[in-house]
Amino acid sequence: MKTKNIFSEKILLTISVVLIAFWLPSITYSQSFPEKGDFAAGAKSWADNCSRCHNMRDPQDLRDDQWITTTFHMRLRAGLTGQQTRDILTFLQASNNRMKEVDEVPQQVDFVPTTNLSGEDIYDQTCIACHGANGKGMVPGAPDFTKSNGPLAQSDEVLLQHVTEGFMSKGSPMAMPPKGGNSSLTENDIQAVLQHMKKTFSN
Amino acid sequence: MKSANGNIGRLLIAIAMAMALPLSAMADDKYDLLKQQVETLKIQLEQVQKSLEQYESNRVSKEEVEELKQEVAEAAEWKEPNTLIHMAGYADVGYANQENSDGSFNVGTFSPIFHYQYRDLVMLESELEFKIGDDGETDVALEYLTIDYFLNDYVALLGGKFLSPIGQFRQNLHPSWINKLASAPPGFGHDGAAPVSDIGFQARGGFPMGNMFANYAAYVSNGPELISTEEDGEFELEGIEAEGFGRDSDGKKVFGGRFGFLPVLGLEIGVSLASGKATVTSIELAHGDVKEPDEHDEEEPDEHDEAESEDETELALDLSDEPARDYDVLGFDFVWSLNSFALRGEYIKTKVGADYTGVTASPGETWETWYTQASYVFPQTKWETALRYTNFDSPHASQDQKQWAVGLNYLFTGSFIGKVTYEFNDGLDGSQTDANRWMFQLAYGF
Repeated sequence: MKTKNIFSEKILLTISVVLIAFWLPSITYSQSFPEKGDFAAGAKSWADNCSRCHNMRDPQDLRDDQWITTTFHMRLRAGLTGQQTRDILTFLQASNNRMKEVDEVPQQVDFVPTTNLSGEDIYDQTCIACHGANGKGMVPGAPDFTKSNGPLAQSDEVLLQHVTEGFMSKGSPMAMPPKGGNSSLTENDIQAVLQHMKKTFSN
Repeated sequence: MKSANGNIGRLLIAIAMAMALPLSAMADDKYDLLKQQVETLKIQLEQVQKSLEQYESNRVSKEEVEELKQEVAEAAEWKEPNTLIHMAGYADVGYANQENSDGSFNVGTFSPIFHYQYRDLVMLESELEFKIGDDGETDVALEYLTIDYFLNDYVALLGGKFLSPIGQFRQNLHPSWINKLASAPPGFGHDGAAPVSDIGFQARGGFPMGNMFANYAAYVSNGPELISTEEDGEFELEGIEAEGFGRDSDGKKVFGGRFGFLPVLGLEIGVSLASGKATVTSIELAHGDVKEPDEHDEEEPDEHDEAESEDETELALDLSDEPARDYDVLGFDFVWSLNSFALRGEYIKTKVGADYTGVTASPGETWETWYTQASYVFPQTKWETALRYTNFDSPHASQDQKQWAVGLNYLFTGSFIGKVTYEFNDGLDGSQTDANRWMFQLAYGF
């Protein structure tokens, strides 16, 4: 019985060695590292996957390089695909900029029409992961936009400043990064998304 | 006539003087203007000189530009080298007070996790576990150490000592900053129904299924070892040691894994299986010590040995040819989260087969445990509450336990948590498993 067991193990080992010998030369790694992922998809994957096990960590908790090892570690823990890992990494690295201190009254800002993206498009790409399609918040600490005395009750100037410079809601364990982490947003884009949010969520 | 000429001459002189006077005044104005212009130019010149001096002091030479370029390049090297090194981990400290015993402060664990990563090709990760025992001694254990090779977007191969992929708690939820309560559910600790860790190789990853996702882990390992106990010449299985052995005492591997399925947003359902062989390698003595046979045990006893105590007679038992028993694990788990609310549960059943021919011949036994836990973060606050029910059934009444645990947590940050937990325990009368307990814990994940 023991002889048979050893024999089958030797066969298994031989097959493994042959397979590895064929496979080893094909081992490569990406030339552009870390590969760029999709910011919006990353925000969604981050919100969908991370909170299944633990409280959400603030993107500002770690530097860009620290997020690389952390997301690869989490790829194994959470059973993420490589693409999800790259997307989440892109989102976190774009979202860990420090928000500015808000200590002065903002200047009056006139409404400026949007440029390329609609407010709805921007919300779906950048905001929806944390704030949810219904505006009630998808992650702990994200405020409920549908409340009559909620954040959207504030003036356009205050909201513009909060979105532009980042903001931490009262009681929230984490801050929203400047521009929701999407540094490509222009002032026009932010104005547009605020108009969309007020139109959609305000009672 | 002479007089007329003299008058004309005087007249001409008077006219000349009258004409010269304004000219003189004009000359004075021009002088003043010129003087003013010179003064202005002087001031401007001084300003230009100052600007020039400032420019000279701020001027960047080609060498300085090159130096700056070098610094930027070095900064990029530092930021994105081929090899990244990172230390993560967690630690917890606290206070526990159980019925019928004195409360005491404690250091739960300090568990640094080391990450060494070469680009997107390979990662070495290892977690150490430092614990302070009741006697003040520090115990160190290698919780896991794996080399992970990222084969492609859907498969990672890893080898070494890994946390058991059976279920969710051991591999993902046991770190104190993640666990919503200050204790592990009964049966999921280091001596329960759920395997803790193993040594072998594993493939794991995730893949999309249309709009849904799935994840998996499949492994082959040395498997666990068994502890037997003896009373009045009869043996019975005492427990399973499933904490990663560097030997395979029966030469038969354990195969297992978990398949997780995410059908809708926020819901994951998992099924775990493991099957193989396990062998009794140690016997627990009457007073609770666990003795493993070693080289000395296999030597022939001499006259002096024969006079030794009953315990040492037991040590002389030769377990090297102990037959391998069937070892099977079945598990189910789920988690459903919606905004600040999360509901999860897990069931693990471990069955060890009978052996009627070996030294420790005894019937088979089954260990079974399950828990359900709900947690909720109050909106716009940092307060979180958790409730968990666990039912652990073991072959031994002293291990059986039903437990309600209720907790209130304060989330200082996402990974720094203060917990107060109270356990209502129902076990064997008069035993530790029957004593209620409250705990305070500060847990920090870094």
